[in-house]
Amino acid sequence: MTDLPRIDWPTLVVFMPLMGAMLAFVCPRQAAGLGLVAVLSTAAAVAALVLEVLAQGAVVTRLGNWGAPLGIDLRADGLSTLLLAMTAGVGIFVSLGALDSYAPMRADARTRRYFWPLWLLLLTGLNGAFLSTDIFNLYVMLEVIALAAVGLTVLSGRREAVRAGLEYMYASILGALLFLMGVGFVYLELGRLDFAGLIAAEPAPALTAAVALMIAGLLLKSALFPLHFWLPGAHANATAPASALLSGLVVKVSLYIFLRLTQYMPLPDELLVTLMGALGAAAILWGGIQALRAERLKLLVAWSTVVQIGLIFVAFARAGQLGLVESWKAAALLILAHAVAKAAMFLAAGRIKDEVGHDRIRDLDRSHIRPTLAQFTFALSAISLIGLPPSLGFAGKWMLMEGAMAAGYWHWIAVTMIGTLLSVAYFSRVLAGFLRFDRLRTPVGEHQGWALADAAPLILALSALGLGLAAAPILAFMEIGYPFGTTP
Amino acid sequence: MADPLLIFDALLGVALIALAIAVLVVRDRFAMIVLFIIFGLMTALAWVRLSAPDVALAEAAIGTGLAGALMLKTLHHIRAAPAAPVPVSVGVVFANMGFCAMVFVGLAIAFMATSLEAPGLAPQVAQNIDASGVAHPVTAVLLNFRAYDTLMEVVVLLAAIIAVWMIERGIEQAPARHLGEIYRGFARLALPAIVVIGTYLLWVGAYAPGGAFQGGAALAAVGLLLLLSGLYRPQPAHRPIARLGFVLGIAVFASVALLVASGGRLPFEYPPAHAKTLILLIEGVVTISIAVTLAALFHGREPEAIPVSETRA
Repeated sequence: MTDLPRIDWPTLVVFMPLMGAMLAFVCPRQAAGLGLVAVLSTAAAVAALVLEVLAQGAVVTRLGNWGAPLGIDLRADGLSTLLLAMTAGVGIFVSLGALDSYAPMRADARTRRYFWPLWLLLLTGLNGAFLSTDIFNLYVMLEVIALAAVGLTVLSGRREAVRAGLEYMYASILGALLFLMGVGFVYLELGRLDFAGLIAAEPAPALTAAVALMIAGLLLKSALFPLHFWLPGAHANATAPASALLSGLVVKVSLYIFLRLTQYMPLPDELLVTLMGALGAAAILWGGIQALRAERLKLLVAWSTVVQIGLIFVAFARAGQLGLVESWKAAALLILAHAVAKAAMFLAAGRIKDEVGHDRIRDLDRSHIRPTLAQFTFALSAISLIGLPPSLGFAGKWMLMEGAMAAGYWHWIAVTMIGTLLSVAYFSRVLAGFLRFDRLRTPVGEHQGWALADAAPLILALSALGLGLAAAPILAFMEIGYPFGTTP
Repeated sequence: MADPLLIFDALLGVALIALAIAVLVVRDRFAMIVLFIIFGLMTALAWVRLSAPDVALAEAAIGTGLAGALMLKTLHHIRAAPAAPVPVSVGVVFANMGFCAMVFVGLAIAFMATSLEAPGLAPQVAQNIDASGVAHPVTAVLLNFRAYDTLMEVVVLLAAIIAVWMIERGIEQAPARHLGEIYRGFARLALPAIVVIGTYLLWVGAYAPGGAFQGGAALAAVGLLLLLSGLYRPQPAHRPIARLGFVLGIAVFASVALLVASGGRLPFEYPPAHAKTLILLIEGVVTISIAVTLAALFHGREPEAIPVSETRA
């Protein structure tokens, strides 16, 4: 394709994983190799897209050359590209982690074969959603993501996983249908479905209904309290790489769409913004308490996702309606921070479980085998999730509190502080178990140090820590193409 | 003088609501499914009355025919499970009813306050239809203007069948009592007819209601008949072909979309001279994939070596 005047990176970013998924499905014996190649080449395409966005601003592809609203446009601006890069980066390391987690001695052949097509279809949907500029197309992408994610949830084939996956599917499909109903109301009022049409729209009753329906659907999909009921079961019972993808990436899509819509739709009045923040605060408290009570390591990590989603909504609401022009950046930074750190943490938790043989928190200090590097990784990602400097989580929380302070909204600062203390408390339950290694006086087992498989989560955790230093360029990058909707 | 069709519409509306209530109220699961199928057929009729024959065809073929078959198959598998529903307290029921009523009233107000005059995208579609390669506006939208959406809808089907092949392993080999036989003589008579209908639906889509999804659903009925009459029994050796069948449509569709993007064109921008040929090619392979995938969804599991107890002479 070298004779092309310009390679169309946005299209390739969506189609490469799709082709990879098909190849990996058709040739199940080579699934892992093909899958890895597809993930890496997708990441390369994303890197090229990042360079292009840096050089010339937002990139638009008019599929079929019809142009919106008749056709569908793909648009890569700073925020989209940042999330694409996040997906690609997390995806590479989770894929590497999966090579170990689904190694022949740990997983049966079916798990090993079907993980790759499902994960690549998920990647197709994620990339497609981040590039979409059309709300019906977003619905279709949500469907692709939902089915692939349900497949990943039940990957282990255990009964609890299947049950949690079914519950997840009900929630997910209900959320998608609510979103679709909102899309219907938008078309009823505006007669078009592209973002540009939304920006130009005058407030109308049908649009209010549409916003209400779409936000309700998205909140259900992002598991904001009290609609989080499906998340802990689904994320705790999936296998570790699948949990990392579900918690790190999948819930981010609905958050991203939510951020976009609040920029485009003639919506948010003060009351709605405050309601989002209040639900976020409730999620922080309730999730924190449940994480303190959790008996299993992976369940604790899953509840911490509920907390972090609440935090993202608090960041969104930190300075009320007037602050929305800035607040989305704090929310986006926290999305990024959580994706990287949580993927690392789930992979590390999976490694610990693989080595120790169980993940009961109270017995973690009684094991012969101490996977120290995995424990270290877990601690590093906990630092980012708690929000200690210099991590990315710290940068996000700092932005949150700075904005809240400037607007005089002290209650959001109080909520963030309480959330931080709670997260210190529940992560300490785990870390204490790692440190008290004198409880069992027996010869130390074979894997007391590290294994090559620890590399992937460790690099992710280190990036979560180190990216905090790059917060300023990241913030500058995500503003490329802002305000959204003005043509590039 | 009332329009006789108006009376028909009113009756249809009442019947739809009554059927919906009946589906929810009836206790017997088999009756529930049958009522749901009738409900689906009535919905298809309603779509016809709303001048949306494409949606009506899809509703009848997929929403009613195939979904009904899937539900009956599921019922067969869970027949052993206790049917008694978990009792729900009256308070919860009323709270739910109140909440739903509020949502309904809110949406109804929003709907009533909207003028239904907005032209939508129909004028633009009409304006560009000559360049699309087909004469039927719905096909033009699905296979050209918004082909990207359609491609991704087929991807959803692929994700579904992979997920189903995954999940089934978690369930211990179902005590699959035989699902009842379809008389082979009937199958032999019906099969050619269904093949003709499916192909016709696909072909006619270029200028009249019909198309890949409807044709695919009709052809999937061929698969169902073959499975139910025992004329075809999935073997482990057939898995590679099945996999190819699932991805064929997407592979061709995506390749065409990318390959046309040369010589200054964009992805999905079919050269006008070949648009009709390309669209027919895409529809043809997508129909095959949809038919194979839907039939495989009905079969509901990856073909494994079949236990001796299940093989019947």
